Amino acid sequence: MRDLNAPANPLETLAYIIAQQIENHSIVYIGTGIPMVAGILAKKTHAPDITLVYESGGQDPIEGDMPWSVGCPMTWRKSPTIMEMSYSFAQSYNGYVDIGFLGFAQVDMYGNINTHMIGKDYHHPKVRLTGSGGNNDLSSLTEKMVLVGLQTPDKFPEKVDFATSVGWLEGGDSRKEAGLIGNGPAAVISPWGVYDFHPTSKRMRVKSLTPGVNFELAQQLTGFELLKPDGDIPETKLITPECLKVIRTEVDPRGVFTTMPS
Amino acid sequence: MAKYLYNEEAVANLKLGDTSVLDRLVDFESARAAHLQKEHAKKDKRMPLDEAIATFVKDGDIITDGGFSYVRTPHQAFYEIIRQGKKNLQMIGAPNTNQSFFITYGLVTHSHSSYTGAEMRGIDKIYDRALKAGKFTILSEWSHGGVAQGFKAAQLGVPGFFSKQMLGSDLVRYNPYLKVVQHPLKAEKDPSVFVPALYPDVSIIHCHAADKYGNAYIYGPAVNDLAVAAAARKLIITAEEIVPENDIRYNKQGQIIPFFYADAVVEMPFGALPGSMPGCYYWPRQWWEKCMRFGGSSEENNLAFCNEWILGTKNQYEFIEKLGGARWIAEARRQTKAAEADNEDIDFSYDEYTLTHDPGRYY
Repeated sequence: MRDLNAPANPLETLAYIIAQQIENHSIVYIGTGIPMVAGILAKKTHAPDITLVYESGGQDPIEGDMPWSVGCPMTWRKSPTIMEMSYSFAQSYNGYVDIGFLGFAQVDMYGNINTHMIGKDYHHPKVRLTGSGGNNDLSSLTEKMVLVGLQTPDKFPEKVDFATSVGWLEGGDSRKEAGLIGNGPAAVISPWGVYDFHPTSKRMRVKSLTPGVNFELAQQLTGFELLKPDGDIPETKLITPECLKVIRTEVDPRGVFTTMPS
Repeated sequence: MAKYLYNEEAVANLKLGDTSVLDRLVDFESARAAHLQKEHAKKDKRMPLDEAIATFVKDGDIITDGGFSYVRTPHQAFYEIIRQGKKNLQMIGAPNTNQSFFITYGLVTHSHSSYTGAEMRGIDKIYDRALKAGKFTILSEWSHGGVAQGFKAAQLGVPGFFSKQMLGSDLVRYNPYLKVVQHPLKAEKDPSVFVPALYPDVSIIHCHAADKYGNAYIYGPAVNDLAVAAAARKLIITAEEIVPENDIRYNKQGQIIPFFYADAVVEMPFGALPGSMPGCYYWPRQWWEKCMRFGGSSEENNLAFCNEWILGTKNQYEFIEKLGGARWIAEARRQTKAAEADNEDIDFSYDEYTLTHDPGRYY
């Protein structure tokens, strides 16, 4: 049983901020981890009529415990139907997914994602990562993408070491010209801030910052020049006590994804 | 074998000297010839696992699996391939997680990369280490959806698909099979990626039930299985149980692989171990944590782990004994039923394996 009185930790805050991106009545493509917590939190609070879909092909499962893998029964628990992998991405192409969430090891100023490797030489990387999985497919096809990950200058470089998935490519109209579908990345969420993209240049821009973080600090945590919004930068709305209680008692009572590693 | 004009930028970026190693994966003519030559009559194809692997897996083959990473994946058949020491293998799949077991023994020398890792348990340090040591060559970089489309094109009997996936990304610059093409009907510029139909040499699919002819029933996510069964030159079915043909005809609705694809049918209870099997058994979670964390920590530890569990067991029954025997079976069944809401909810907390804490149990 988790301590219900402890202050919210960064992972719980992150889950809440992600959940706020989800509108009721939408179809939400979910990867495991924090987006899963966020999806179920949204469903149990402000967006009870959303449908969650997974890369396993699971459609609209009954919520259960936190899954141990994308293929875990929890992602297709009593689903009315389970589709094949090629279908699950086609669903996004065909306009039956409203929003999706992607993780990244690196994200650049145009929202392009790297999950392949860190280093400048493909054949001799500093470290080889997982590769695309479904990351590229969703970023290529989904109407609205939200990118979620940690923020340091290395993780927010000017140019990613390997472009696994395309966000706004080189900015401007380049995503559309390359033939990609959907509206591209809408937001990047890190523990320090929420970022969006300038409507014409498509460069990353501060939208709101976590209380205690100012623009200068956010800039120091970023490997490229961040754009500033017009006017004052709002503070990111922090998790409410009600939502914190729902996470700790209903969504992730064992703290699988929302307790900090010791 | 036909001649192919590969994506030259990708061939150069991947530093592939001889591109003939790429050909068989996309060679429709030889795949169709293999399909025509195999047994088309409804005959009893049952055989033991060692015979199926010895007969239908050859050195140099391109291998793929069914299932998803470690859900309904034919791990026990893979371990038999390793025990038999088949060499110079290529692996492809979406995901392509299980190649690391083969790479450990130097058996997979060529990788078609899509996803390697264990999700929340992190990156695959075994793959990372072997790549840096030059133990294998990456032949192509894919997204999951790209591989899935290649297999699906083969199943549906078309030379390939026009895909909107992978466009503009570095995947296209590191995949010799992909080319960007214009929509032939559209007046304005509308690029797609041409994904060719993919024909692996051998597919191994673990299913819930099969009859002796190879009609095979899958419960839960089918992932890419119906496609890879049709695409492969050779198909080995391993099944939790062998049932009469009429059981398939009368009782097994849903996802069925038709018998004529199958070359071998192997009765293989617990054939997905150490993976999970929908409706049947949950993961031994600590096994995967030990594999990734202990095996990931050094090559010596990885080899010790694989030697203990893969070469150190003759079959799935010895594997189960090491996991905890009948107690493990009972717990694994209880957990998977609860996960599917076919049992009262149970507490899914467990004693996790970490580098400083080995619980010494697998349920």
